Amino acid sequence: MTDDAKVSGEMQNAFIDGELGPAEWAQIARQSQADSRLRDELCELRATKELVQHAYPVARAPRRQTAPVGRWAAVAALCVASAAAGWLGRSAWAPATVELERELTAGATLREVSGDRILVHVSSSRRETIATALDEVDDVLRQAKRNGRGLSIEIVANSNGLDMFRADVAPFPERLAALRANYPGVTLVACSQTIDRLRERGVVVQLLPGVETASSALDQVVRRLRGGWAYVRA
Amino acid sequence: MRLPFTRLFRPSACLRGAIEAQRDPLYRLAFAWCHDRALADDLVQETLLRALDRAEQLRETDRLKGWLCSILANALRDHYRRQRGFENIDDLDETVLADQATPEIASESAELAARVRAEVARLPVGQRMVVTLVDLQGFTYAEVSEALSVPIGTVMSRLCRARGALKARLLDAAPDFARTEGSGRKVRIVK
Repeated sequence: MTDDAKVSGEMQNAFIDGELGPAEWAQIARQSQADSRLRDELCELRATKELVQHAYPVARAPRRQTAPVGRWAAVAALCVASAAAGWLGRSAWAPATVELERELTAGATLREVSGDRILVHVSSSRRETIATALDEVDDVLRQAKRNGRGLSIEIVANSNGLDMFRADVAPFPERLAALRANYPGVTLVACSQTIDRLRERGVVVQLLPGVETASSALDQVVRRLRGGWAYVRA
Repeated sequence: MRLPFTRLFRPSACLRGAIEAQRDPLYRLAFAWCHDRALADDLVQETLLRALDRAEQLRETDRLKGWLCSILANALRDHYRRQRGFENIDDLDETVLADQATPEIASESAELAARVRAEVARLPVGQRMVVTLVDLQGFTYAEVSEALSVPIGTVMSRLCRARGALKARLLDAAPDFARTEGSGRKVRIVK
């Protein structure tokens, strides 16, 4: 850039935002000393920047729960207490509930669950998460069928995970249909609270064929755990 | 029977705390983008939940702010897409949302901050995102480019147009500026 070259708007902004290297910065600084119009433009840009900064004071956002720990930890506590009291009726479930408690309150990283009645809880719309969960469900069902063992799996979806059951956005509708067709032990349950929240926001929710609803995912999990089901979070 | 379910569950308490600590700055930014406090709150909540859900994707924690802003930008774009059926991000970024043109009445007597917010709201979405990321979040152009997935040249041109428009409307007080510079398509959002 020569001294008399016009400084573009982009470069003026880069100058006031500290985006230029030392040589470019010095060039424009020199030029602005000799060019009152450029100096005025830079001043006005700085003033504009400050106006924007002052127009949005840092406000305290409403505090909302991001971790499902509060409510779901209650489920965990219920499971552990229930197992201890023999409420779940089968001692074989105790390890699973302990795992659940660890997961929900202590942040376990890896886990394995055993059982022949399993609730799979999906709360994420992440395609990879759903794909992995369906892969695992498929594998386990196939293995059980090969061994002649009955296996019930219930997939419960809430929050963003509801997407997997929504006709317009479901990433793998054909896989769910195949699961239902091939394995009678598979049930799909959507959280009504999530559906209601979406509808309040004007979203039209149409569920895939065969998807049932429960009053809430939490209620359904509690119901299943009391019935002796194991819980797995996808 | 042993089931092969394995999953990395939660982000560490440290990362969770760092993500949650961004709630207020994100809320400020989200409000500057949509000028609707309830929507800003929802977008931030959605952003934090998505971030916590995908924490394992964050490789370098010093890029947390940019990563969160990227999620927030996508959450807002998703919101507008759902409302208006935008299929192309470029279309959305160049769009002026007509019903956001006057989130507050920018009369002669209105306080300056309200006037500034009203003018920011008149900018096309893409320009609004860029200027607020630079001015409110203190992002470098490279960070904006990464957060919004647009080239640096686009960041610079949008910033130039945004500041030019704000300068003209706020400092030069040219009443007919909107008619001469209003190149963005106007769309009325139906809530």
